[in-house]
Amino acid sequence: MSRFRAAGLAASLVLCGAAQGASVGVLVSSPSGVPVKDSAVVIEPLVNSAVGHRAVASIVQEDREFLPYVTIVQTGTTVNFPNHDPIKHHVYSFSSAKTFEIKLNAGKSAQSIVFDKPGEVAIGCNVHDWMEAYVLVVDSPYFARTGNNGRATIANVPPGRYRLKLWHPRQISAPPVRELVVTAASAKLELTLDVAPRTVKPKPPTDADRY
Amino acid sequence: MPVRSLQRRIVFVFVGLLALVMALILLLVTGSNERIVVAETQSELAAGSRVFTLLIDQNRRQLETAATVLAADFAFREAIATQDRPTMRSVIRNHGLRIGAQVMMVISPEGQLIAETQPEFREPRRFPFPDLLSAAVSEGKSNGFREMADGTLHQFVLVPILAPKLIAWVAMGFQVDDPWARGLSEMTGLAVSVIRRGGAEPHVLASSFDASRRGALADALRQFPQDIPPALSIGGEHYQTVQLPLGQGASAVLQRSIEQAQAPFQTLQRVLWAIVLVGTAVFAVGSVMLARRIVRPVNELAEAARRIEAGDYAEPVPILPPDEIGHLAMSFDRMREKVASREQKILKLAYEDTLTGLPNRTRFLETFDQLPPSGQGAVVVLNLDRFALINSALGHLVGDRLLNAISPRFRPVLPADGLVARLWGDEFVFLLPGAERSSATQFGNAVLAILQEPVTLDGQRLDVGGSLGIALYPGDGVAGVTLLQRAQSAMYTAKRRQSGVAFASEMGAPPAHEQLSLIGEMREALVRNEFLLYYQPKLDLHSQKIVAAEALIRWRHPQRGLVPPLQFIPFAEQTGFIREITPWVLETVAAQTMQWRKDGLCIVPSINFSARDLLNPGLVEHMRGVLASYGLPADGLCIEITESALMEDPELALTHLCALAELGVKLSIDDYGVGQSSLAYLKTLPVHELKIDQTFVRSIADSPKNAAIVRSTISLCHELGLTVVAEGVETAEDLDWLVRNACDTAQGYGLARPMPAQDLPAWIAAYRAKTGAVS
Repeated sequence: MSRFRAAGLAASLVLCGAAQGASVGVLVSSPSGVPVKDSAVVIEPLVNSAVGHRAVASIVQEDREFLPYVTIVQTGTTVNFPNHDPIKHHVYSFSSAKTFEIKLNAGKSAQSIVFDKPGEVAIGCNVHDWMEAYVLVVDSPYFARTGNNGRATIANVPPGRYRLKLWHPRQISAPPVRELVVTAASAKLELTLDVAPRTVKPKPPTDADRY
Repeated sequence: MPVRSLQRRIVFVFVGLLALVMALILLLVTGSNERIVVAETQSELAAGSRVFTLLIDQNRRQLETAATVLAADFAFREAIATQDRPTMRSVIRNHGLRIGAQVMMVISPEGQLIAETQPEFREPRRFPFPDLLSAAVSEGKSNGFREMADGTLHQFVLVPILAPKLIAWVAMGFQVDDPWARGLSEMTGLAVSVIRRGGAEPHVLASSFDASRRGALADALRQFPQDIPPALSIGGEHYQTVQLPLGQGASAVLQRSIEQAQAPFQTLQRVLWAIVLVGTAVFAVGSVMLARRIVRPVNELAEAARRIEAGDYAEPVPILPPDEIGHLAMSFDRMREKVASREQKILKLAYEDTLTGLPNRTRFLETFDQLPPSGQGAVVVLNLDRFALINSALGHLVGDRLLNAISPRFRPVLPADGLVARLWGDEFVFLLPGAERSSATQFGNAVLAILQEPVTLDGQRLDVGGSLGIALYPGDGVAGVTLLQRAQSAMYTAKRRQSGVAFASEMGAPPAHEQLSLIGEMREALVRNEFLLYYQPKLDLHSQKIVAAEALIRWRHPQRGLVPPLQFIPFAEQTGFIREITPWVLETVAAQTMQWRKDGLCIVPSINFSARDLLNPGLVEHMRGVLASYGLPADGLCIEITESALMEDPELALTHLCALAELGVKLSIDDYGVGQSSLAYLKTLPVHELKIDQTFVRSIADSPKNAAIVRSTISLCHELGLTVVAEGVETAEDLDWLVRNACDTAQGYGLARPMPAQDLPAWIAAYRAKTGAVS
């Protein structure tokens, strides 16, 4: 209940900014006030006039972990899965937004995957159950990921009307989508999101792999 | 009987103690067995319960592992992610077969069943155990026992399928059935059953029991609707029971059979019982045998003791094994020998005369008593003549040797069944069973003939003769003592008469019982003055005057009248009562004499002294006192003594005689000729007078032999300075003969019978008148 109230408060704000583009700062915290990291904050223009700035993203496998944990890409972005570990990884996803499977030899910078459909993609490693990563594929170039302090800033957002979407891989329920008017001036938003704590799956020490 | 009880006691004590010890052991073992069984059962049950719980948990973990492995299967996850239901079902069927899970389900995160191994479901439905699902959502996984719609119970685990996000749940169920229960039963060592309480009827879902016990368990469940008691009887067997809840109304019932726990102990107990019974039996037999071995020699000893008690010393005590009883038997045997020899010695002392080795008086009487009571026979008493003389003249040693020399001579003349015994001194007795008067006489003569053979000791020739008294039974009596007495009386008579042999039947002695009453009567007679004195006059043949008289005692018995002296005097002498009579006689005579003297009649009375009187140490003093008190001169009194009275203790008798002679009393030898003393011997005595026995004087005028003896005796006496009295003068011819042959004094019936004192003066007066007339 409280998070809806917080969200509603945020939605009523009208942001003003420069013609060049304003920056939107967001603080995501839990209902108890704890900053939530790795949240995806996405601003989608109501009119589909977005400009693609299709950069190449990377999800590295290092020390038998996916890094980063959450990756936000615009639809059509190519993501690389470089393997920095001396062992093989078997990266897969059964998510409907992108189903794929890559067997990665040690030290190889393997084939890249083009995420061509919007949606969330859960990525795991068939060899190491504790390895997990999420890719949120969105139809907008305006997005950001909260840091450890729960803050994220989306720069150069042209003024206009937008939909504000908030997402987290362990969110307990999908937060409602709101409208957001961006002006020339920079805006600050405080959002609330309830997430389950990350289940720490047992990870054997590195030595164990040598044998 | 006591011997049997000793044996029984030994057996009872031995077997009883063993039985007691065995019973205690049995009690102890049985008691501790029961405690051990209970404790064992409980600890087994506790251990089994722990194992059971552990196994259940292990099962769960295996299931979880299996489910987790399945959940990680890439293809399976792919099938789920791609909603490929046929593949999903195929995978879970395959997996179920692989690990033996009967039920497998795939559940969407929302709780819808996506796939299951059960037959194709007709409509989409939800997972039937939402509680397991919600537990899994909060815990990450869950497990539990759940009952399926068909009534079967399963152990379920529910684990997530991650890709890497939760995409579904997989549930796996192992059926809880009888093989499951049996498997757990094998591992826990307990009977394992699973029951369900909820609902109308309690239900046994699975059990390691067979069908019948399973039914019995179901009955017990109905009987105890709440909880099963810890001790439960199923199908006749007793079980310690523990109930572990499995959830959802189901619980595991773990049971341990008490009988099974008891089984090894019961075997032990059976073996113990067998040992106890066999042991007790063996022990009983053994102790009976031991007791017999102990008691048998005791019995033999007892038997030997009975023989010895009965006087049979001949058979030795049996030789027994050299144990304590054996030693006892040996001591017993030595005792038997000692007792036998001592008894022989005692018998010898009791029945044998130590000097001659002949049987003694006791033996004689016993032998007599053993004769058949109806038989007849003779008891012959022999007294040696002149033995006292030899004894006093030559000493006791010679006397003893003489007896030893004579005693062996009797045996040859004795009949085979006869007996000779020495009574005392020189007196012997012969028992002649079956003898009658003639054969007894013959025997008596044979004995006399033997005695006539002289005995030579140290070159000195000794002449001994004897006098025999014969009592015949049953004529003279039936008791040994009576016969002995009567034979002795007869012997004295024979001695007095010098006839060699006399028969008791001739004596007319009173029966023994009369003699016994005499003592008391004589004592009374003395007090009542029943005794009186008769006087028989003595005629002085030279002056033809009555100068003396012999005082003779008479007894005027109130019932029996006048009792002759022969009937009580020998008895008074025998019993010693004579010592009370003689003083009375002495005083009465002294008083009478003084009375006569006052009346002018000078008579010298004579008194008879017995052997006992003569041996009385106060005799002389008493005599002196009496003479003094009556004022009678000593020569006014004469004492008559028989030869035999002198012989009893010749030395003392001689001393007393000498003292009397010194006193001045006149001394006279009575009954001369009956005894054995020679005149030469009498000469040595201080006597003044000799009285020739009537046997010689009687019919002196007709018998030349008697006449010769009397004549020579008179002349010899005169030569020796003795006056001579002839007794038993009966006729005038006798009197004439005596006068012609210079005899000094005469006495006898021919002159006068004994008469009361008061008659004497008148009789003397009459005699004087008569003779005076004649002369």
